[in-house]
Amino acid sequence: MTGTEMTEMKRSNDERRWSRAATGVVLVATILAGCGKSQTTQERSADTTAEARAALAASHRDSVTTSLAPAPGVGQVGLIPAGSDLGQKPGEWTMAARDYAASRFSPLNDINVSNVAQLKVASTFSTGVLHGHEGQPLVVGSTMYVVTPWPDLLYAIDLTKPGGALKWMFGPNADPRSVGIACCDVVNRGATFADGKVIYNTLDDHTIAVDANSGKATWNTKVGEIAIGETMTMAPLVVGNKVFVGNSGAELGVRGWLAALDLGSGKILWKAYSTGSDSDVKIGADFKPFYASDRGKDLGLHTWTGEQWKLGGGSVWGWLSYDPELKLLYYATANPGVWNPDMRPGDNKWSMTIFARDPETGNAKWAYQITPHDAWDYDGVNENILIDQPMNGQMRKILFHADRNGFAYTLDRATGEVLSAAPFVITNWAKGIDLKTGRPIEDPAKRTHEGIVVRDICPSSTGGKDQQPAAFSPRTGLVYIPAHNVCMNYEGVEANYIAGTPYVGASVKMYPGPGGYRGELLAWDPVHQRKVCSVLEDMPLWSGVLATGGDLVFYGTMDGWFKAIDARTCTEKWKMKVASGIVGAPIAYRGPDGKEYIAIYAGIGGWMGAVADPNVSLDDPYTALGVAGAVPDLKQKSAEAGILYVFTL
Amino acid sequence: MTLGERLAATVALCALLALILSVVACESRDTKEASAGAQPFSTFAIGPQPGPDRGLPRAENPYANDKTVLADGRRLFNWYNCSGCHGDHAGGGMGPSLRDSLWRYGGDAPSIFASINEGRQFGMPAWGTKIPRDQIWRVVTYIQSLRTPDEPDPPR
Ligand code: HEC
Repeated sequence: MTGTEMTEMKRSNDERRWSRAATGVVLVATILAGCGKSQTTQERSADTTAEARAALAASHRDSVTTSLAPAPGVGQVGLIPAGSDLGQKPGEWTMAARDYAASRFSPLNDINVSNVAQLKVASTFSTGVLHGHEGQPLVVGSTMYVVTPWPDLLYAIDLTKPGGALKWMFGPNADPRSVGIACCDVVNRGATFADGKVIYNTLDDHTIAVDANSGKATWNTKVGEIAIGETMTMAPLVVGNKVFVGNSGAELGVRGWLAALDLGSGKILWKAYSTGSDSDVKIGADFKPFYASDRGKDLGLHTWTGEQWKLGGGSVWGWLSYDPELKLLYYATANPGVWNPDMRPGDNKWSMTIFARDPETGNAKWAYQITPHDAWDYDGVNENILIDQPMNGQMRKILFHADRNGFAYTLDRATGEVLSAAPFVITNWAKGIDLKTGRPIEDPAKRTHEGIVVRDICPSSTGGKDQQPAAFSPRTGLVYIPAHNVCMNYEGVEANYIAGTPYVGASVKMYPGPGGYRGELLAWDPVHQRKVCSVLEDMPLWSGVLATGGDLVFYGTMDGWFKAIDARTCTEKWKMKVASGIVGAPIAYRGPDGKEYIAIYAGIGGWMGAVADPNVSLDDPYTALGVAGAVPDLKQKSAEAGILYVFTL
Repeated sequence: MTLGERLAATVALCALLALILSVVACESRDTKEASAGAQPFSTFAIGPQPGPDRGLPRAENPYANDKTVLADGRRLFNWYNCSGCHGDHAGGGMGPSLRDSLWRYGGDAPSIFASINEGRQFGMPAWGTKIPRDQIWRVVTYIQSLRTPDEPDPPR
């Protein structure tokens, strides 16, 4: 094939996709019009559920579709960028978010809106570990891989055996001292699979590649140092022959970095820091940020006073995504070091920043600082979902980011331009985002300072959502966001840096936001930046979300309900109470028997979930960095556990 | 005495004898090892002591019952970032609550001193080289005042 032929072919492919997507615009409109009816109050959504149940009882199962939705599978209203799933089988789940786009969409549709009411537990598996079970299992071929919270055990489960049988277990002997320096429970957000290896991080800062067949470590690289407060909790991502990992510990004054390791040997190839000189941050001649305030020499030094950048945070503990066409790796950095903003005047770059990097060299191509000079711990690490969607009649390569600061952003992922931003939860610290400068339009009364208790800031430090990942369905064009409705009082206090101990400098007291609900599962239209429908939840949502080809959306609650809702109407279709609160992310896969399965961890924990820990006393509302005030009832609603649940029809 | 009662009495007697014997056995083994020059005990016992209480040497809190150091103890609790791990008012977080009645390593003053001075395995730093002994005792006194009417600056 000649080069021209190839371009031709690519173009016609592109056109096909574009036009399919254009059909979608009409669909979006239809859905928008329809979904308006089922919006947001709990009572109403309960009513519609009852209606749906009645319909289900009255009619033939297969014929039940809600009157609001177009027939499923008619068209696609958004696209997951080509090549994102690395050619894995539809029934597999080989990386944290299933694909590079971070969609958490499984095309499987055996379990769907019309039959999910029959969903039942197929098997369970105890991890033998308590604490927050964040993240998700992987399914590669006929094996499932499960990573536990510290001590970071890795289990391989043979799915060909009835009920699943243990193939091997790998124990990394992670240093017990790392337990005390992990800010927000001893969580682990899972592994990734590449080149016959299961690769994951341990709390004591090792990245380990375990041979998928033998269960023995192929390589084990120490990438961080617990003595200075570094831990690791994130799920790695592999692009080509490189493994990308980042550190946690912005609450302990660490300096954030993203590291590239060689997939074959585990050798560290480079580290790109989140603060410091341009060369440390890997900013060079090809760095083209969209906004003026992100341009200039050595901003990672000059937007701080003195040597504060060395303790500057901006850790890289969230999710990574990658665009195989643009060849850009995306991630966002955490809060700046020390929560007391008066101790670090300046924009504090590159904390709170979305980076686009060339995965080969590590060089930054663009960066966008979401919340300059953070004063609320609106840690920016939330996932960046890559979507191709039409906006104003033009197909756009979007990066969607629902931030802790309460705003949902769509960016042009080639340039870093913010196309739109709107609050997705009750948000009062800023009135909006100025699209000319990219900066928030702050309410000065809500900016926090040392020695002053600033009251009634929404959202709280835990954010409109935290790391718990949203899902995107190309069938509906909607993003499903697990959100919180929690507000706070915040006082900056003087902090004293002692290596390996917290460097927080804030007294934070959280409390439920207005409206009588603390959580909300939002079906969000990223193109028009508006809520299409939602489910209000009593507890803040700390679970990730799964969207499926069966037009279902799965998520869990901190009081242990695992639920399936209709992706188009948000009506509840199925739920089951599991043994413990859910802070993990569901997956769908096809077992060796050909059946579709849904898997989720039950195991309360994580930052907010730490309140369920028997070692936390509730007469101190400032406990666990202030979350105790938000969920004082959690202890009554969920006890700790560590159980994998697998469901099927 | 019925047969049952006699049986019970015999069992009790045997148990008593066994107890005495075991204590004697332990004593003699300890003596032997001690005479061989070993230091059988660290300054503070973390685990339960086998056999009867032998009155290990216990460091005394120089500020026991001294309410004048409580405010300073609270200040130091923040200053050394104890609050960062244990909560602003010691209700827990990265480290366990120090307000509750559950103690992993003992809640008496010498045990709390030891926890702070020597550190503990699951991530409690050893502060002995960083904080003067006198200040550690002040923090101990503050910790022991939690949830009592004497607690300085209680959570609100
Ligand atoms: C880096 C986090 C961290 C810091 C800073 C820290 N602690 Fe701890 N602390 C812990 C952890 C984790 C444990 C539990 C250790 C274990 O179970 O092995 C603990 C245990 C303790 C205990 C024993 C509790 C029990 O149940 O027996 C005491 C007392 C204590 N800490 C006091 C302090 C004081 C006082 C300070 C400040 C000088 C301090 N800690 C600073 C993390 C920390």
